[in-house]
Parts: sequence; C-alpha cells; structure tokens
Amino acid sequence: MRLKEIQRTAHQAWSPAGHHPIYLALGTSAQQLDASFNTTAAIEIFEMDFADPSLEMQLKGSLPTTNRLHSIVWVNFGTAEDGTGGRLVGGSENGTLTVYNPEAIISSGAEAVVGESDKHTGPVRALDFNPFQNNLLASGANDSEIYIWDLNNFSSPMTPGAKTQPVEDISVVSWNRQVQHILASANPSGKAVVWDLRKNEPIIKISDHSNRMHCSGMLWHPDVATQLVLASEDDRQPVIQMWDLRFATSPLKVLENHKRGILSISWSQADSELLLSSAKDNRILCWNPNTGEVIYELPTTNQWCFDVQWCPRNPALLSAASFDGRITVYSVMGGSLKAQQQSTADMISSSFDTMDPFGTGQVLPPLQVPQPSVQETIIPPLKKPPKWVRRPVGASFGFGGKLITFENSKLPPVQSPQPVPRQVFVSQVTTETEFLQRSRELQATLKSGSFNNYCQAKIQNATSDAEQDIWKFLLVNFEDEARIKFLKLLGFSKDELERKISKCLGKNFQSNGHGVDAKDLAEKMQRLTTERSDEAAADARTSGSISPADFFSHTPKENSTFPIPVSCDTDGLISQALLVGNFEGAVDLCLNDGRYAEAILLSISGGEDLLKKTQQKYLSKQKSSISMLISSVVTQNWRDIVQNCELDNWKEALAALLTYAHPEDFACFCDTLGNRLEHEGTEKRCLQACLCYICSGNIEKLVECWALHRDCSSPLGLEDLVEKVMMLRKSIERLRNSEVAVQSPVLAEKLTCYAGILASEGSLSTAMTYLPDNSDQPGIRMLRDRLYHAQGEAAAQQQPPNSFNRVGVPTANPTPAAQPPAPKAPIMSQFQPSAPPQVPSQQQPPMPSIFTPQVPLPNPGPGLPSSTHAHPPSSTRPVVRPSYPQHPATAPAFSSHQPFQPQPVSSGGPFSPTGPPMPAANLAGPPLPPSSSTAGGLPPTPSPGVPPMGFVLSTSLPSGMTPPSSQPGAPGPVFPGSFHSQGPAPPMASSSFPPIGAGYPQGGPGAPAAKPFPAPVVAPPPTGPHDGWNDPPAVRTGPRKKKLPDNYTPPAPITAPVMGFPVEAPQPHNHTQVPPGAPQEPNVQLLQQLPAERVEQKEIPSEHMVLKTTFDSLVQRCQLAAGDPQTKRKLDDAGKRLGHLYDKLREQSVRIVLCSSRIIQISSQTGAGKVCFGSRCSAADGSWSTCRLRGDQYVLRDVMSTN
Amino acid sequence: MVSVINTVDTSHEDMIHDAQMDYYGTRLATCSSDRTVKIFDVRNGGQILVADLRGHEGPVWQVAWAHPMFGNILASCSYDRKVIIWKEENGTWDKMYEYTGHESSVNSVCWGPYEFGLILACGSSDGAISLLTFTGDQQWDVKKISNAHTIGCNAVSWAPAVVPGSLIDQPSGQKPNYVKRFVSGGCDNLVKLWKEEDGQWKEDQKLEAHSDWVRDVGWAPSIGLPTSTIASCSQDGRVFIWTCDDPAGNTWTVKLLHKFNDVVWHVSWSITGNILAVSGGDNKVTLWKESMDGQWACISDVSKGQGAVSTITDTQQNEQ
Repeated sequence: MRLKEIQRTAHQAWSPAGHHPIYLALGTSAQQLDASFNTTAAIEIFEMDFADPSLEMQLKGSLPTTNRLHSIVWVNFGTAEDGTGGRLVGGSENGTLTVYNPEAIISSGAEAVVGESDKHTGPVRALDFNPFQNNLLASGANDSEIYIWDLNNFSSPMTPGAKTQPVEDISVVSWNRQVQHILASANPSGKAVVWDLRKNEPIIKISDHSNRMHCSGMLWHPDVATQLVLASEDDRQPVIQMWDLRFATSPLKVLENHKRGILSISWSQADSELLLSSAKDNRILCWNPNTGEVIYELPTTNQWCFDVQWCPRNPALLSAASFDGRITVYSVMGGSLKAQQQSTADMISSSFDTMDPFGTGQVLPPLQVPQPSVQETIIPPLKKPPKWVRRPVGASFGFGGKLITFENSKLPPVQSPQPVPRQVFVSQVTTETEFLQRSRELQATLKSGSFNNYCQAKIQNATSDAEQDIWKFLLVNFEDEARIKFLKLLGFSKDELERKISKCLGKNFQSNGHGVDAKDLAEKMQRLTTERSDEAAADARTSGSISPADFFSHTPKENSTFPIPVSCDTDGLISQALLVGNFEGAVDLCLNDGRYAEAILLSISGGEDLLKKTQQKYLSKQKSSISMLISSVVTQNWRDIVQNCELDNWKEALAALLTYAHPEDFACFCDTLGNRLEHEGTEKRCLQACLCYICSGNIEKLVECWALHRDCSSPLGLEDLVEKVMMLRKSIERLRNSEVAVQSPVLAEKLTCYAGILASEGSLSTAMTYLPDNSDQPGIRMLRDRLYHAQGEAAAQQQPPNSFNRVGVPTANPTPAAQPPAPKAPIMSQFQPSAPPQVPSQQQPPMPSIFTPQVPLPNPGPGLPSSTHAHPPSSTRPVVRPSYPQHPATAPAFSSHQPFQPQPVSSGGPFSPTGPPMPAANLAGPPLPPSSSTAGGLPPTPSPGVPPMGFVLSTSLPSGMTPPSSQPGAPGPVFPGSFHSQGPAPPMASSSFPPIGAGYPQGGPGAPAAKPFPAPVVAPPPTGPHDGWNDPPAVRTGPRKKKLPDNYTPPAPITAPVMGFPVEAPQPHNHTQVPPGAPQEPNVQLLQQLPAERVEQKEIPSEHMVLKTTFDSLVQRCQLAAGDPQTKRKLDDAGKRLGHLYDKLREQSVRIVLCSSRIIQISSQTGAGKVCFGSRCSAADGSWSTCRLRGDQYVLRDVMSTN
Repeated sequence: MVSVINTVDTSHEDMIHDAQMDYYGTRLATCSSDRTVKIFDVRNGGQILVADLRGHEGPVWQVAWAHPMFGNILASCSYDRKVIIWKEENGTWDKMYEYTGHESSVNSVCWGPYEFGLILACGSSDGAISLLTFTGDQQWDVKKISNAHTIGCNAVSWAPAVVPGSLIDQPSGQKPNYVKRFVSGGCDNLVKLWKEEDGQWKEDQKLEAHSDWVRDVGWAPSIGLPTSTIASCSQDGRVFIWTCDDPAGNTWTVKLLHKFNDVVWHVSWSITGNILAVSGGDNKVTLWKESMDGQWACISDVSKGQGAVSTITDTQQNEQ
C-alpha cells in the first residue's frame, strides 16, 4: 500500500535502523534526466511522518552537489546515542566518493561534506557498509576496482586482493551478514567473487556459465552465512539465483516469475523470508526465497523501478524509485487506499479558504472538490504473515495472581527436526512474601483460637512502642480482669499506688498479700486520729490523695470536753444554727467562711439535697486541677472528664473511665475521648485514640482512626490493620460469644481490599473468609463470585456466589438468551440455606433484643408492692438471663445461631456451677465479683436463689457493667431484694442496658467478664418453653415475699461488744460498692474465701451482729421518740432497708459489713464520725456503692435527726 | 516469587501467539499460527481440552474473554483480517459472529468493561480500529475509526469503567454515566487515547514517546486511586508508564520503566493493577512493581526455559 510519494529521479538510502525518526536520503541519479532537463544535483533528506496520513514527505534538508550519483548508502557510523546522525556516502558518476554528514545537511548545509576521495577512476556503482564494523565501507567501480574504506581514516583505502582478470565493471559489492571479513562482488557478466579480507584474496568464484546472468544485484542471506542470491538483468533470464557456497557449482534455487530483467533486489533484514525484486516488467515482487514462492506483488505504476529498498527500521516499509521520476514508499501490510484519496481531497480543499477564498468578505458555498470516484482499493497484506508481526512470547495475568506465559524458540522450525512442544505455563505469582506469611499466621491463630499467644508474640516483636501498646491492649481483651490490666497498662497500679500512699502517710507499707487487713487498718486509723493529724492531712492534701484518714483527721476529737460557742462570730452562728437544726444555714456559714470541711460534714447530716448542693458549691469554688477530678468522681460526671480534660491527660481520663465509668457509658465515653484525640489529628494522638477504641471495642472507629495516619494501601499496612481488627473482633466475639458482623463501610472496604490482595497472591480460600459477607456492594459481590468460581471444585462447600445478573447473548436465536441465568439460579438456591444464619446477625442484631428483658419488668407481681420493694426502680433491675439458643421458642432465625450468649457467665474462679445443695453459697456470695471478673465493682448480684433443678451456672458478674443479675427463674429464698432497700435505686442498677450496636460488645471489652461459657453449659430455662429468650424474665415475687419476713423478722439482740474506736477503713472503696472496673485484690481475696463461709446463710455472721443490734436499737429508740407520722414512715422505711442490709450480711457481703459495722461502731460513740465515714464511702465509691451507702446513711441520718 | 503450577501442552502445530485465562482463572484460551484457537479447562491443575476452534484462515494473533455475565464468549482475531466471536452454548463452542470489516491483519481484540455492555475493540494493520457492540438479536453495531494509526494498529486496551476513585462508592441504583475510553498503539509509534462522545469515537490524546512501533498497550485496572495508568511497550525496547491524575484526562506524564535490548512484545497488568508483566523478544518475562517512591523495579525474572523462575527459593516452592 502506497504511503508516501514524491517526484524525484534519485537513488535512495534509508536512515539506519537505530535512527529515529525515519529519514530517506535521495541523491540525484546519474544517467537520467527528467522532463525539465534539469542538470543540477542534490542530496535531499526527507522525514517519513506516518502520523500524517497524506502522501507528503517532509523535506528536512538539502545539499547541492556537483556530481550526480550512481549509488548512495547511509552508514551507521558516528551516530549519536539516540541513533541519529551517521554518514551518507555517495558514489558519483565520475568516480568521486563523498562522505556527508546528514546532520549538517539537515541543519545548515555547512561543512556537510566530511570526506571525499577520487581514487576510483570510473562511476562508483557499488557501495556497501560492513554490518559489524560500521566504519568499514566497500565500494566498487570500473576496472574491477574494489576499495575498502575506513571512515576513521578515509584517505587510504585497502583492496580486498588483486583485481580480478579480465577487468570488468563492479556492479555490486556486498558484505556477508554473518562473517564480518567476507565480502562479495559481482559484475555485469554474471560472475560473483567472494573475498576473504583476512587472506586478502578471492576465495571462491561463482558463475553458472550460461552467460545470460547480467548481474544487477547480489545479496547475502540475512541468516545463512553461506548463501547469497544473484539477480539477473538479462531479459532472457530474468531470474534470481540462490547460491550456497557449499555447493558452488550450480544455483541452489532459481526464482522465476519476472518476465523481464531484474533491476534491483532487497532482502529484508527483519524477515529473511522476504526478498523484494523489481524488474523491467514493471512489477515489484516479494519472494519467499526459501520456498521460491511469490508471496506478494505490489500494486505499482507502469514504470520500471530501478531501485527497491526495505526500510531498515520499519520492516513493513519499502521504497521504490522508478524511471518516471517517482520515489514511493509502500507498506506490505495492506490496507485501503480510500482514506488516502480522501485525505488528498482534504488537502486540496484545505489549501483554499473554503469559506472566503477570495477575501471578498462574501461567504461562498463549500468548495466542491470533484471526488475522483472513490473506489475503495483494498490492498491485501502479504500472503504470509511477516515474522515481525508474529508475536513469539507473551505473559498475561489471570485472576488469583496467575501468570500465563508462553514462548517460542527463536530457531526457525525448519532447522529443528523435532516438533517443538507448544506449551503454556501457568504460574503463581506471589510478591508479598511477608504479607502472606503474616496472613497465614493470622489465619492459623483465628482457626486455633490461641489469641493470647498471638498477641504476646506481637508484643514481643513490635517495632515501636505505639505498636506494642496497641497489642498489649488487644491482649488484655483476651484476659480476665481486663479493666485492671488496662489500668496497669496505663501506668496505674493499685499496689504501686498503695505503696505510694503509705509512703506519703509516713507508714511502712505492709502488704499482707491480699490487700489491707481490716483490723490492722482500724488500728492504724485509730492511731492516726488520736494523734495530731495535721501533718498527715497536709500530706494527704499535697499528694492529692483522698485517703479517708484525711477526713477523719478533721473530725473533732470526741473524748475531750469542749465549749459550745454561741457568740456572734461565725463560730457562734454556726453552732447556734446547729443547735436549732438549721443545717442549711450552718453550711452556708461554713462555706462563706471557707470552712469547707465543716460545710461538707454538716451537709451530710443535713440531707442529700444539701449535700449535693454543698458539694457543688465547694467544687465550683475549687479551681485546682485535682478539683475537676474530684468533682467528676463525686458527681459521677465522667462526660466532663472525657470532654474537657487536657488531651495530654488522656491516660488519666481513660484510667478514670476504667475505674469508674458505668458500663453503659463506658464505651461511649471511651469513644468520646478517642474522638477528641483523633481530632487532634497528629499521629501520636490517633494512636492514643486507637487505644481508647480498643478499650471500648469499637472496631469501626479503630479502623477509621488507624487509616487516618497509617498507610493501609500497601499490603503490609493493611495486614497491620487487619491483624488488629481481627483480634479485637475475636475478643468481642469471645465476650459476646457471637459473631460480629462487619458493618462499617470503612472496615468493609479495608477487608475487601485485604481479600483482594490475598486473592491476587493466590490465597483464594483465605480471601473468601475475609470478605464481608453481608455486603451488597457490587465490588464485594463480584469478588466473592469470582473467588467462588475460581476455586473450582475446592470451593463446592463454600458460600454461594451472589453473582451478577447475566445478560443474555444469544447465539442462534434470541430465545436461549434466558438460558445462562437459569443454571445459575439453582446454584444460588442450593446454597441459600447456608446464608440465613448470617442474616440475623446483620439485620436484626441480637444484642438489643437479647437485652430487652432488662427493660423494666412490666408486672412486678401481685405481692410485690406490699413487699419490701418500696422503690419502683428495684423492679427495674435488669435481670440478665442466659440466652438459650436452642430454645425452641426462640425465633427460628436464631435456631442455628448459637453464638449469641451475651450472658455473662462466671469465669469459673472458685465457683463451680453449684447444684441445689448449695444454693445459698452460690448466690449469697457474689456481692463481690468473682476473682476473674474484673468488674469488681459490680454490685454484688445476689442471685436470689437456686431453683431446685439445679439451674445455675456459676453465675458471676459478667462484667463490670452488668447489672446484678438475679436469676429470674430462681425463687429467691434468700434475697428479698436486699439492696433495693438501701435507698434510692442506684442509677446503674435501675437502668437497663441500652442496646449497644451490634458491633460493640456490651460495655466494651474493658469491662467484660471473662471466658464465655459454651452454650451447652447453660441449663435449659427453668421457666418453661413459654419463657423465650426475649420474654421478660419471670419474676417470682411469691417466694421473695414469703421469705422476706423470715429474713426480716428476727430482731437480733444487741450483742456485739463495741470494739475499740473503729477507724474508718482506709479502703472505703473496698466496700461492696467498688466501682466497676476498679476491682481490688482484697475483693478477690475475700471472694475466694467466700464459698466456705457462705454455707450458713440464715445467720448473720457473729462479727456483724453488732450491726444489727446497733441498728435495731437505734431504730427502736427513734421509734419511741418519733412523734409525727412522717418520721415514723421514714423509720419504717429505714427498718425495711435494714432488712435488706441484714440480708446482705447473711450473704457475706463482707465489705458492706466492714463498712457498716464501723459506721455502727462509730455511731455508737460519735455521731459525727459515723456520718462522715458514710459520706466518705459514698463519695469515693462507684454509683452502686454510693446508693447503698446512702441507704445506710439514710438510716443513720434518720437516727440522727430524730435524736 | 513465581512458580509454575501447571504446564499446559497445547498441541498447537505452530507458534502460540496468545494465551488468556478467563475471568475466573479456570479456563485457558490459546491461539496459534496453526490457525486454531483452543480452550482448556485448567481447574485444579488440570488441562482438559474443551474446544478446538477452527474458522480462521491465517495465524490467530489474540484471544479475549468476555465478562461471564454475558455467557462464555471468546473473541479471536487473525491475520486473515477476520474477527470471530465464539460462544459456548450447551457445552458447545460455536461461531457467534464473524467480522470481516478490516482490510488487513487484525492484531488485537479487547472486550470493554462489562459496565459498557458487550463491546469489542479491534485494532488492525489497515490502520483502523473497529468497535463492535452487541445490540441484541444477533445484531452487532459496528463503528470504525479509520486511519487511527497510519501503518497499522497493534494493540487496543480499554480503560476501566469505574471513574477513578470510586471503586467502592459507585452510586447504586442509577446507572452511572460512564465515559468509554480506550487506548491504542500502532506502527506510527504513537499511543492514542480514544473517547466516545455522543456516540462518536474521537481521538482524545496522542502520546508520543516511542521511537518505533508500539507493540502493546495496557490500561491498568483501577485500584481505587484517582489515577489512570497506561503501560506501552515498543519495538524500540522501551516500556513507558503513562499516568494521568486529572479527572479530565488531559495531562499525561510519562515515565520510562525500562529500556530493553530487544523488542518488547507484550505488557499485562495484574488484576489488581500493581504488577506489570513485560514480555520481550528475548523470550524473557519480567515482572515490575512500583515502589513507594514511584520508581518501577523489576521484582522477578521469569527466565527462559520452562517458565521457571530464577529467583525462586526452596521455601517458596514448598509453600506452593
């Protein structure tokens, strides 16, 4: 197909293969004239711009020459790095050989001639350059002259040997393409001589002796060193002979097709099966010289073509110079001429301004270019595909990191006798070795469940402190007593702190191994208070300690006599106000005078409201840094801390949350704190925020926050994240004993990405496990489908693909279009059954529903109102029930969904699931959390009783946050709601758990109690089938009511001897009301002792009898003194609460006993002291304890006020 | 890093020119100078000849699998100037459509992203690119870009359908208005980008860097980044990576991946778009990956011979 054309009568030379762009040099031909009889001569250089579809060649440079040329070559000598440059060598009609610098011709023409020699005596018709040493050039002329030129030293050529005799014109010289020192020459008589330049002599002569071979061309075989072709110009023998020097007697092959003499030949260096020839029959043929077949004929004009040349760079191109004065560039790849003709028309029309060709300002109609009847000439390509389009090698990727490769031997098949095996290789490409290794480890861990070891290993191998911190936090989630350990991780150790406090107080710390011994403490406290305690108080203040000793030191000495001032100064006014019972006035006076201690002491006696008010006033006046903390602790306002603390104090804030925060709020507060840290934006803060999110168990936020500052696009970065997420998720699942569905889009995206990487590394089945299974994202769905199918039979058991909708593409008729989807459908439905189990977890998160029972009980039962349950809140106490996954009555969706067992189950500890014989021990015990439940602070949950069938799993406090769980089905023989009687229902207990998002564990992992019990451990619900998992727990009020009197009635005599001054225990918070999350070793100790002691439940332990006797006598005395009905009612109320308290005592709520007995003892000696202590406890402890103590306090306060 | 897990003996009687896995990686299609196309089931390491497709009258250069949502469809192109679309129906492969609109060798076929429907781009040595769109009822709509590459088009490759950056957040419900784009490379040494506007295909960009035929082009799959990436390889031994960050797609920057000593025939992106396989005339396949600092590094040589890899270690082999 014709590509470019120009009117020139010239010899041509393509720029060398390395030259870009492709240039064509044309030197005016000797012995020819065009119609103008112009006799000038020039060398012109044109650029072949094939991006331009027109036939134009762009002239790049031109140099007038004195002589016309017989030959021209472009030598790859002196080329620049980029392949440009080189040398043009022209052989002229007068024997001059001239070397030009094409660069110079293009740029200016100056100094374009870099060498010239007139050694030759006649026209130089033959030129060729050595393909191996491009400085070597051979030339041939008249009289058998052959010279070998060194372009580095152009002046003195060599000869290849003695001139052949008889002397003849040299029409062709040609260098061998394989052996660099072999040169061949041929002359018109048809003889060819092969020269060996090392020997400097001809080594063979070739002739067919027919005398008809007029050699117009001779070429060495591009690939075979011993073969060459000779072309004959003689019309009688218009053939191409192929010779092999090994059989030099006759031609190996004769290519016959031309009708008249051959003028020029050119052998493609890119494909030795392509040999061009032009002849006087006006044809240009392309041969496969190996077979002798003509494989192509160029569509040419009716003119002889005296020179054809393959383009060295673009193997599909050739140029042909014809006697009618045209140089034409053709492609052998075929095509259509239509486009070109059109473009010619375009060219013509565009040379006019079609709109206004004459500048008249008048718009003319569009120029009508006569369309030369566009007959689309389709020019076919070579019959045989040329070598350069035959792709020999390939590699392409397939799904799952597969690489498909194939290659073909470079040897021509002809020469390899054996059939070549045609193989395609499928390889697995893995680029992320470390990623895969870690992924495998993670996978193994997830399968084996050895999360602790995994986290430990991560901690050991952590590269940074931050990383280590995160893993430590994650590890804690898998351990018991998570909250304590979190605190330790944050740098708050109880032991350490106690030691410090002791040191601060100037005492030797004596650890008895299980916290503080009560007696020891009492002694110490006594000593403290009897001594002058200013010093201690000062220490305490400076140290920020809130040791009770501090408070006690402020209490008046009870043993000394004192005057009561009645003057008009503040003291006097205060005492007067006190004398008349005007607490409010007295408190105001104290506050006004800055006597905060007195103000608070008095306000405690003045009632709850006053106390609160006073606290508020006090706290509002205090601006010290510690006051905020105290304020928050006193008012239970953790929101303030998390929202307003300095971010640098995040650790402290988190510690406070861990110690105090209500489980319901814990996660939320942690998240709030995390959010603040995250918003700070720095990487450090974000990592800290991550710790907060780990505490709260908020996977989504963890992911989002992590992704803010860590690169998650790289596989290892993603692996880092996924490891943490999976661990956190596992810990939450372990807590909730259920699967945690991926809900956050960010997490889903990350997991999808992770799965994608796994897939691309070939871990298809593993990838499947990470793919969020509840997503409808098209991307995720498609990846799942792809993974599924890609695994072939191996995946038969796996999840069903959610495949895309198929589009029907019919083959024969449109109807079968519907077929493709059809087979798919069965597959899907077949797999469907496996899907539903997932559904509930994602669509109706079980969490909330499971917790519904905790909503206030609808019907307290008939007997209830009259019972001791005076406070409605008591009935709202959430009752946590075990979930019964297998329960027939449960929603069908759940039937197979075992994991859901939010039920906090005891972590074992000392309790074994107790059978009926020991109900009391089992139930009475847990005022203190079991050792493993970090939740220590949990209001002891006395499960009211054990049903005879032996139902109880060793119930424990699920977590710091779980409300006391009274076993619903259990008739509570022992526990008539003892702690309800202690005052206003504790806020925590009264609130049911809000349903927390499914992604969250309840309360966050910081709180959780320990190991989940496998479902089977849970006994079938005693309440019968109607009692579905989401039914409100049945409240057996009857038994309670019945039992209550039993507990209540026995009025114990006052027997207890009053012990020495019962100093307040320094561990007020050791009282039952330990804040959630602030478990203490003593608790544990006590707890562990419990089982043994608990057997006799009916009796109040003797050491606590003092309480009962004291209280009872107090109440009695009060009742005697009380006149008005209101007071009497209060006293009744107090009596009821005492009943509850006694129950507690029976249940071995040791710590309340400790506390209470001290109160009582105090109260029996000094009124102020006991009150102070009570308030102290309430202030220092968590919500539950506060309430309970307030309950006690009520009693005492009532006593006081009536007294 | 690269280990042969399956060697498929194709029994082709001449050079193999292309081998492509289907969407799931379970079937392998090969084509050869022996004028046939073969399909093998290679699941679980097997190699079961599923089909031996005869219909071309010249060497078959390339094969391309359509997305499975359209059924099992394979396109092949040949030196015989034909494009044949094959389809499996009830386990039998048959000719579904034969396109004879090119005047010279059809060198490359490539299916568009499934979001565009069933659309095939074909690049030919006649310089034209054809776009065949299935319109239903056995009808194929043909659009032809004449003279796309003057001396011939060697390769075509579609742009991913996703608007860069929205891999996950595709608006659901309404059908996104995709802009159809593809890239081509040809004997004019150019890489050209084409865009469909109002149903017409227009040249969008012309990327110049190669100094010889562009042998292959590959538009990288979107990996969710707002960057378009194209690899091109050439007769000149160079492989270029073209990237474009701007949404309009107008500013392309080029980076030389490597200059090989021989012609580079083929480039292929991994499914996730992070690895580029480059196959050269020296029968060498190299894998390339962009490092964090944006440099491209060769991560593996798939050396001569049995496709085995020189860098593979014992442990890695054991892992497989």
